[in-house]
Amino acid sequence: MDWLDEFYHLSSALTDYKVVQLKGTGVGEEYLDVLSTIIPQDILSELFDCYRSLKVQNSSKPKEQLIRDAILCDAKLGPVARNIIKMWYLSIWYQMPDDWRQQFGKPNQGSPKYQDVQFVVSRNAYIQGLVWEALGSHPMGAKQPGYGTWSDKPTDKGSVISTAS
Amino acid sequence: MNTVDEFDVVIVGAGISGAIMAEQLGAKGKRVLVLEAGSGTGDRFWSSGGANSKRDGYESYMDTFFTALAKIPNAPYPDNPNAPQPLVTDLEPITPNQPLTNGYFVQKGPLPFASTYTRAEGGTTLHWLGTCLRMLPEDFHIKTEFGRGLDWPINYHDLEKWYQVAEKNIGVSANADEQNYHQIDNPSVQIPYQDGYDYPMEKIPQSYLDRHMAKGLQGMTVNFDGKTYPIDVVSTPQGRNGMPRGSYRPVGAVGDPDLGQRCAGNSNCVPICPIQAKYNALKTLMQAQKTHHVEIRTQCVAYDLEVDPVTNHISKVHYKQYSDPNSSDHVCKAVRGKVVVLAAHAVENAKLMLASGVGNSSDQVGRNLMDHPTMLTWGLMPSPIGAFRGPGSTSGIPSLRGGDFRKNRAAFRIEIGNWGWSWPEGAPIGTVPDLIDQKNLFGKQLKDTIASVYPRMFRFGFLVEQLPDPNNRVTIDPNYRDQLGNYRPVIDYDVSDYSRAGMAAAKHVSDMIFQRLGVEGYTEYNPSDPGYVTYQGQGYTYNGAGHLVGTHIMGADSKTSVVNREQRSWDHPNLYLVGCGNMPTISTSNPTLTMAALTYWAADNVYKALADM
Repeated sequence: MDWLDEFYHLSSALTDYKVVQLKGTGVGEEYLDVLSTIIPQDILSELFDCYRSLKVQNSSKPKEQLIRDAILCDAKLGPVARNIIKMWYLSIWYQMPDDWRQQFGKPNQGSPKYQDVQFVVSRNAYIQGLVWEALGSHPMGAKQPGYGTWSDKPTDKGSVISTAS
Repeated sequence: MNTVDEFDVVIVGAGISGAIMAEQLGAKGKRVLVLEAGSGTGDRFWSSGGANSKRDGYESYMDTFFTALAKIPNAPYPDNPNAPQPLVTDLEPITPNQPLTNGYFVQKGPLPFASTYTRAEGGTTLHWLGTCLRMLPEDFHIKTEFGRGLDWPINYHDLEKWYQVAEKNIGVSANADEQNYHQIDNPSVQIPYQDGYDYPMEKIPQSYLDRHMAKGLQGMTVNFDGKTYPIDVVSTPQGRNGMPRGSYRPVGAVGDPDLGQRCAGNSNCVPICPIQAKYNALKTLMQAQKTHHVEIRTQCVAYDLEVDPVTNHISKVHYKQYSDPNSSDHVCKAVRGKVVVLAAHAVENAKLMLASGVGNSSDQVGRNLMDHPTMLTWGLMPSPIGAFRGPGSTSGIPSLRGGDFRKNRAAFRIEIGNWGWSWPEGAPIGTVPDLIDQKNLFGKQLKDTIASVYPRMFRFGFLVEQLPDPNNRVTIDPNYRDQLGNYRPVIDYDVSDYSRAGMAAAKHVSDMIFQRLGVEGYTEYNPSDPGYVTYQGQGYTYNGAGHLVGTHIMGADSKTSVVNREQRSWDHPNLYLVGCGNMPTISTSNPTLTMAALTYWAADNVYKALADM
């Protein structure tokens, strides 16, 4: 089962970035690695199944509402989906909420690479955070836009990293 | 060991003032030793070696920065228990009679001292913003002029030539015909520059926000005590590489000089410029070593100055040398210097003198600790101004730095911040989770919200003057020590009504500007903020500016000051103190440029003194 592909499609729906843009960051595999280390396999599987079934559903409701109904307001899947969004935007894994951990969390076996505590996923992940292009700039400390660019009108193309999809 | 290394000059501290001293004296053939308490990265930009022989370069600080959760000013510089440093995350409100001890500082209050510094080779210039303002002529004698604070034993004209030296060697980008403030209709702030003088590089381009604000505030005035003052947006002089004038060549990164020839807009001056386009003291340390007369020993913490009872000279500097920051294993060593220079930072200089019982016949060592209590106001501009781009600040409003109101309340300089709400709210990293968890946004809505709101974020910083107060002080207490057994600074600190009145006036100016520009205000001061104070029933919050001033002030009288106008200890003929600790008042300029100018002067004094030794 190719979870990476499912992960990109779900992430695309949650972030409104195209799959090709998400793949372009080069950190999707790392995020999935974090996710599948910390979140129990059956829950992840349920999340991906759920999104797959939404895609084929023939509903008159907008897709956004279907995602809210089936995933975001679900006690088990919602917090996982929100963590996926935060990871893409901010490159940080946030500890799962207390009540979720009590109800659904399982202690990691052995000594895995990632623990369910707050951490920056990696140096490269910080640089690839979606928030920077969403706000019309570049990650602070990386992808330097060049001398004097801060003087340009913010909508000038070329002075900022384009968000055009 | 029978022999003790002997040098012409022993300098404690490898920050900017120690580096300037070492470079100036080394260049004139003096044998110089610099002792640095913290670690360093040598002259390497890139890390080298394999897993077992890895030698960290400056780039290793970037790794630490990128993966740090809290991107605070000291985030890139690893925690070193043998040379601990204060962190802004240590701050909390202080309960009366219960010192705050969770960080390096022992804070006795009543208010927390909010500023920090870096204990590593290069010092706090590793994370400074680079602002290089000169002091106003009136700032040197506010006691005479306004009946407040203290007069300096020197004046602006004494220091002017040293300002020029400092501006050249730091590499400051600015235009003299703007920085003399002659365009500002407030004679109190105007600064005389020598005819024909200009900075080594042209001014750094002002941000789109600066220009938007300058346009919106054109012609605006405010009234204080019946007098009218202008509100003028002016580009800020910066120790950051821009377009060179004439034959000047910018100094690039240490270890990879092709980098950092020009600011490239990394928007990360604090906590670390990735390419060293912003000046840091590593550049001056490298120049010092090129003289072949300067040796730098890192991981050597000076802890005692021994005094010759006959001559009153400092005869030896004792230090603890460690090889692993995480182990307290160390060896005690001593060195001699014909001249000893303390350049360890305002707090550390005071601490070392108090620990050694030297230089304190005036009882002023450690006293008169000052900062710029920095009050922020923030909001959303009606249209995108391109937040989170460029150097942290490229302009300010300096037109209220001086005036008769200083008889009644503190002056302030307004800094215009280019990084949205990163300081007041931790945006975007600290604020986006709320959009997802509480505002329940995802997908297009989330993306559109960020795109429409964040580019409109802006903040002011009001750097409010603080007067010298002997009760704001650094002391030591045998009960509080670090891992090596060295003293931790114990700090008593308060913010007087004079400064609080300045904060109130600043808030008033901010409110008027917000009205004029149609800014949607989001400023909030909470009683739970560590720096929360009240004045006439209103609450305000200050933050630390990182401008630690005072602690060994210069003066004309040995009974009321620690050093004379030559920056030599009144008590010990071969002991010089340098750094912001020498400054008797802080006024409204970020202190580094003035401190650097003073240090060039002090280096000249030391050189002349050595001729007679």
